[in-house]
Amino acid sequence: MKTPINRHMNILEFALSSLLRRKARNLSLLGVYTLVVFAIASLIFFVHALKREAALLLKDAPDIVVQKMVAGRHDLIPVGYGKAIGEIRGVSKVTPRLWGYYYDPVIGANYTLLVPDDGRVTPDNIIIGSGVARTQRVNAGDLIAFRTYNRLPLLLTVKDILPSESEIVASDLVVMSAPDFKSMFNMPEGLATDLALTVANPRELSTIAAKVAEMYPDTRPIMKDEILRTYDAIFDWRGGMMVVMLSVAALSFIIVAWDKATGLSAEERREIGILKSIGWETSDVLVLKFWEGAAVSLTAFLSGVALAYVHIFFFSATFFEHALKGWSVLYPQFRLTPAIDAYQLSVLFFLSVMPYTAATILPAWLSATADPDSAMRS
Amino acid sequence: MIQHPAVIALIVSSLTISCMALYAAWCGLQILLKWDLNSGSELQLGLERRTYLISTILAYALLFQILSLFLFIYTAEDIHTLFTGAMCAAGTLNADVYGYPTLLLKVFNCILAGVWLIINYADVRGYDYPLIKAKYTLLMVLAPLMVLEALVQFGYFSGLRADVITSCCGSLFSADRPNVAGELAALPHSGIVPAFYGCIAATVLCGAVFILKGRGGYLFSVMSGLSFVVCLAALISSFCLYFYELPTHHCPFCILQKEYGYAGYALYASLLGGVVAGTGVGALMPFRGVASLRGVIPGVQRRLTVAAVLLYLLFAAIVTYRMLTSSLVIFS
Amino acid sequence: MIELKGVTKGFNAGRPNQFTAVDDVSLTVEAGRLTVLKGPSGSGKTTLLSLTGCMARPTSGRIFLRGVRTLSMTGGEGDVFEVSSLPERFLTEIRRTAFGFIFQHFSLVKGITAIENVMLPAYPTGEGHASFKKRADRLMDMFGITRHADARVDWLSGGELQRVAIARALINNPTAVIADEPTAHLDSRLSREFMEIVGRLRDEGKTVLIASHDPIVYDSPLADTVVEMRDGRVTGTRKKS
Repeated sequence: MKTPINRHMNILEFALSSLLRRKARNLSLLGVYTLVVFAIASLIFFVHALKREAALLLKDAPDIVVQKMVAGRHDLIPVGYGKAIGEIRGVSKVTPRLWGYYYDPVIGANYTLLVPDDGRVTPDNIIIGSGVARTQRVNAGDLIAFRTYNRLPLLLTVKDILPSESEIVASDLVVMSAPDFKSMFNMPEGLATDLALTVANPRELSTIAAKVAEMYPDTRPIMKDEILRTYDAIFDWRGGMMVVMLSVAALSFIIVAWDKATGLSAEERREIGILKSIGWETSDVLVLKFWEGAAVSLTAFLSGVALAYVHIFFFSATFFEHALKGWSVLYPQFRLTPAIDAYQLSVLFFLSVMPYTAATILPAWLSATADPDSAMRS
Repeated sequence: MIQHPAVIALIVSSLTISCMALYAAWCGLQILLKWDLNSGSELQLGLERRTYLISTILAYALLFQILSLFLFIYTAEDIHTLFTGAMCAAGTLNADVYGYPTLLLKVFNCILAGVWLIINYADVRGYDYPLIKAKYTLLMVLAPLMVLEALVQFGYFSGLRADVITSCCGSLFSADRPNVAGELAALPHSGIVPAFYGCIAATVLCGAVFILKGRGGYLFSVMSGLSFVVCLAALISSFCLYFYELPTHHCPFCILQKEYGYAGYALYASLLGGVVAGTGVGALMPFRGVASLRGVIPGVQRRLTVAAVLLYLLFAAIVTYRMLTSSLVIFS
Repeated sequence: MIELKGVTKGFNAGRPNQFTAVDDVSLTVEAGRLTVLKGPSGSGKTTLLSLTGCMARPTSGRIFLRGVRTLSMTGGEGDVFEVSSLPERFLTEIRRTAFGFIFQHFSLVKGITAIENVMLPAYPTGEGHASFKKRADRLMDMFGITRHADARVDWLSGGELQRVAIARALINNPTAVIADEPTAHLDSRLSREFMEIVGRLRDEGKTVLIASHDPIVYDSPLADTVVEMRDGRVTGTRKKS
């Protein structure tokens, strides 16, 4: 019984056998192909995982943050503003926040100092992020010396170190009590760094933000999704930048693929000539070439994806860190949560398999159109 | 310009497809000008070999085109967070004036490429390449359209700027906005749903008549095209409500998401398949009389008709099932 | 079975190395008979063979096939049809079902086994693997090479390769067998064995066409028609009375 399935299965069998017969040639192509897939896949997985992490952690960020602006720059905000803002319909809570930056000249790093609103730290105690712990080389119970605004030393005991899950946003964090904070920065009473608003209905965020801006024209309300969006945009931009760089590598790969495909050895030409002579039609040879390409692409794709998965999620993207995480003395060390989906794989497909396939169509056709009588003439 | 890796992938793919299509069209031009089947000259043999190349290129182009259509929608979905007010892909597409044109061009090119492949399938089964002129003339139309699509898509992505205030599907697809999408949503339920079932029934009937009696091919083709439009209209104005279980959510893109069981893919794939098969039947009708294809075309058309009918029925089955099992009740 | 009318085949038209391999040849190959093309190298035998076997298209002239039933041919009156202007797709389909070829240098695919070589022509036909495997086994048995079935062809001797090539030519049950200088690499004993096999094929009703300048072939009593060629033209036809 003649069916198209049989035809494909038989030709596929021959395709696999001919790939295995020319191991040396195909192995080098496979190696390069896998490398390209690996590089692009690592990049895509990494960017996606980072975005996801950031989104998850920022889920608990305040819905709206109100900052005061003076001469276009962020200034301290009177806590009194919070009263009127709290009366806006839809705002369920207003929390003044105290936080700021501290530069440690010895280590050469910037820390973020924050006062929590749940009073979990008592005076003289601090909770620090793991990045701080690493650079200061301290454990819970040790002391860290800070310098206050007027160069006086302030010794604080490390009560606890933040868990590593929070590294991506809390690596450089130092959580301290309000009195310690005020000693550090001499912040006047009645002022806060910004106000955090909790809004019940997310659909009203922009309306409320507009009302705040109208009420106090010298303030700037920042919405949570604006922060998320900015992170996304930066990750995308950075990711895109790297893709552009990788495309140079991908382009050379395409050229290699083209070269390999057009530069058939005499043996291969002879073989195709024989196939044409014994009754294989041009479309049969094209099917053969298709299956050869599919087998190579599938192998390279799966290997590249598997390697990238291991690279990103077990080795935390050792090759890419520096380009993608930004300048900082404190590199967060964290294990990204594995998260890949069909969407990323299809983007990967478009950036790797598709150009390869397109590059090999013409060479495949050229070889498939060998004369049927070539075996007669050889 | 949003430099999302997926955006770059889409631009790369449309560029590749355009190059492939242009090359194919150039070969096609040679063929249109110099084809002479009765000559055994080397030029003719070379041209015949070229036809294999062109059909291979276009088969791959169609495959990539369909995949890139879904990738495009999914990407629009994925980057909607970058635009305030955008709740899903609809908002992203609305953020730039080239958004919807890109989508429409992509869909149109998919359909045209599918029809080309159907004509090609019939042509190679005739021993004297009977449809060659028609085929390559169609290619002359298709290739520039693919280039146009690549340009429009590029224009769209380069014009996109994050944080642009855009209307999301809520206001875009709500009843009081005066644009096409809004008008669809405003179609009355009591009118569109019976019209939908009527269209499907008519299509199935025409298909059955064509399969059994071999008459009415053009009618069937026109019916299937009409069904395509009516199905889309019905989906946006009525059926998607049952998926979302919200009487005001008319967005056609959200049903592609995970929380609705990816139903959108099945629905749109069956519609696309149905309209390509149906249009293919109509495209082959003028050639039924050609000597070398007399034994070929009726069989091909029958198979296409069966495929189209089954796909439309699948669409109807999915939406009907959802309508009946949804917790939203519009008709008492 | 095959009729050629005024067939010409030229190469490299319009270029300085232009030449005509076959020049205005008219010839009939009768069904169920052995026809031998005799002539020195360069006489156009090989080109004529490829034209007859639907492997190449003539530059001008017509070729007709009679008594060949194929899947796709629905045109033409009765069972005679003209193949000179058929697209490659159809030509190949006819070739697959109607002709089996034995090449001068055997042209077997190196690196795979003998039985795989035999089965190769059947791969693209859409037939199930098991079905043509059975036929391949039977053919190899018929020619006594079953013990070499799984051996790589690189290791086989001239005579064994010859038989594998013949088995391959017969895998699709062709109506006609075409051989180009089949005895060129064989000694006299093997050449005579080959002619014996040819006789068997002819007795089964197959049409056989051989191009050769070996007397064992063209002087064989089995040859029903001998066509002499020189410089691309037919210079004489001798029929066995």
